[in-house]
Amino acid sequence: MPKLLEHRGKSLLRAAGITTPDGRVVTTAADARSTAEALGFPVALKAQILAGKRGLGGGIVFANDAAEAEAAAQRLFAAPLYGWPVTELLIETKSTIQSELYVAVVSDTAARAPLMIVSTSGGVAVEEAAQTGSGTTVSAAVDMRRGAPVYWCLDVVRSLPLPEATLVALARVLSKLYEVYRRNDCTIAEINPLAITERGLIALDARIAIDDDAVFRHPELELERSQEVGDRNATALELAASKIDENDHRGSAHFVQIDPDGSLAKAQGKISIGFDGIGTGVSMAVMDELVPLGFLPMNFCDTSGNPTGSKLYRITKAILAQPLIEGYVFASCLSSQQLDVTARGIIKAFKEIFAPHGGAPTIPCVFSFRGAWDDVALDLFRQHGLDAHPWVRVLGRDSTERELAQTFKDLHERWRAARPMVTA
Amino acid sequence: MSSLSWNVFSGGSVTIDLEQCVACPTKACISACNVPNLGSALAAGPDGLPSLGITPERAAQGGCIECLACDLACQSDGLGALTFALPTPEIDAYLDELRAAGSAPGRGW
Repeated sequence: MPKLLEHRGKSLLRAAGITTPDGRVVTTAADARSTAEALGFPVALKAQILAGKRGLGGGIVFANDAAEAEAAAQRLFAAPLYGWPVTELLIETKSTIQSELYVAVVSDTAARAPLMIVSTSGGVAVEEAAQTGSGTTVSAAVDMRRGAPVYWCLDVVRSLPLPEATLVALARVLSKLYEVYRRNDCTIAEINPLAITERGLIALDARIAIDDDAVFRHPELELERSQEVGDRNATALELAASKIDENDHRGSAHFVQIDPDGSLAKAQGKISIGFDGIGTGVSMAVMDELVPLGFLPMNFCDTSGNPTGSKLYRITKAILAQPLIEGYVFASCLSSQQLDVTARGIIKAFKEIFAPHGGAPTIPCVFSFRGAWDDVALDLFRQHGLDAHPWVRVLGRDSTERELAQTFKDLHERWRAARPMVTA
Repeated sequence: MSSLSWNVFSGGSVTIDLEQCVACPTKACISACNVPNLGSALAAGPDGLPSLGITPERAAQGGCIECLACDLACQSDGLGALTFALPTPEIDAYLDELRAAGSAPGRGW
């Protein structure tokens, strides 16, 4: 689900009438200095990345004068935070906080309704509060036919130990937050912390995520759609791969990099490989077999729902564009998907990618075709000579996930032994 | 008569060099374009050469289901007269960046 950076989320909050600190986004340390001077000190400098716990990670710092602001910006721009480069900083006036609240509207799939949550333990305390039960938390499912008018929100928060005036202000913020959630097709609209200050309630942070299936309805948000990348920015390859599915509804090509830079595989002493599976279940089963044998898929990819051959062609190119992989595994479940179409896309991609080597893959590749038209898929591999290459094995419907993984391991060992002869 | 071409839904195009097809003994692309229950995009024209059995507009709307059967059939059983061009500009740009950084995969890109 696409997430918005803090400053973009805050612009949605402001548009709905929720107060945020005065601030601006900068991309250089010099701009940080001049912006801080214009805003007036003290200021907060906040790294604009999608990861949580930025404060704990050193991504939010405060400055009391121009020199401090510029030096802090230089430090923030210089080093990645949680592995992701910092290219933008949000410079804001520092608020004087009396106390912090947590407020959110989230999609509750169990209740099949938006859930409004409010806690008196805001900021970094919210996770501790969730574990220890400290603070007071209230929640209520929103009836989408009625929405969340202020009087209803006031009923939700009435039991919180807050002054009456604060409760009324809080209800107004919640009603507006629900409007942000609805208007933008969010899966979550969260403010943490919502600060109680002398100036009233101020949203010091914003966490907004948009429903994948509603992205097309919001061109104004200019979202870079990428599948399920979690709490980090999408990689360049994930963004490139996301274009394959963007305007083509025929089947899926969900691609996400599990270990984009290979660091996890390196830390675990494993070998990175490219991976494609038809169905998440079989993908998990094959990965469970591959990992104990010493391999770690660099990516997860699901090409199910009967995608076109062209979709398979393009996503196979994306998978094989990962420079660090030492092999490629394709696995299908016993599905009704037309596997001959799948095979054609893969064959076309392999013929093009490995054309300088006569179409012969230079890394170990194992394919498992099990399901509808799997016999045609195997024939196509034979017909186009792909199964005859030394670093290719093609398995049929009688093969198991364990056999697939073991076949890949054996092939990889032979490939490793012969590697000086291979142009990898 | 020189070439037959149509656009496809996902972005891309198919072009067939009909001059080459004259000498093709199989016209394998036509028989390969056999979509169960959906009909075929390619058909044999009056001269026996490949022609579109549907309008180019219909083909571009998804009438050509991009199964790539014509493409591979022409490569393996025909004369290589068919080009199924499927651009991947974003992936190409990604690879260009890797090449510029000297870290592109060496496997034939």
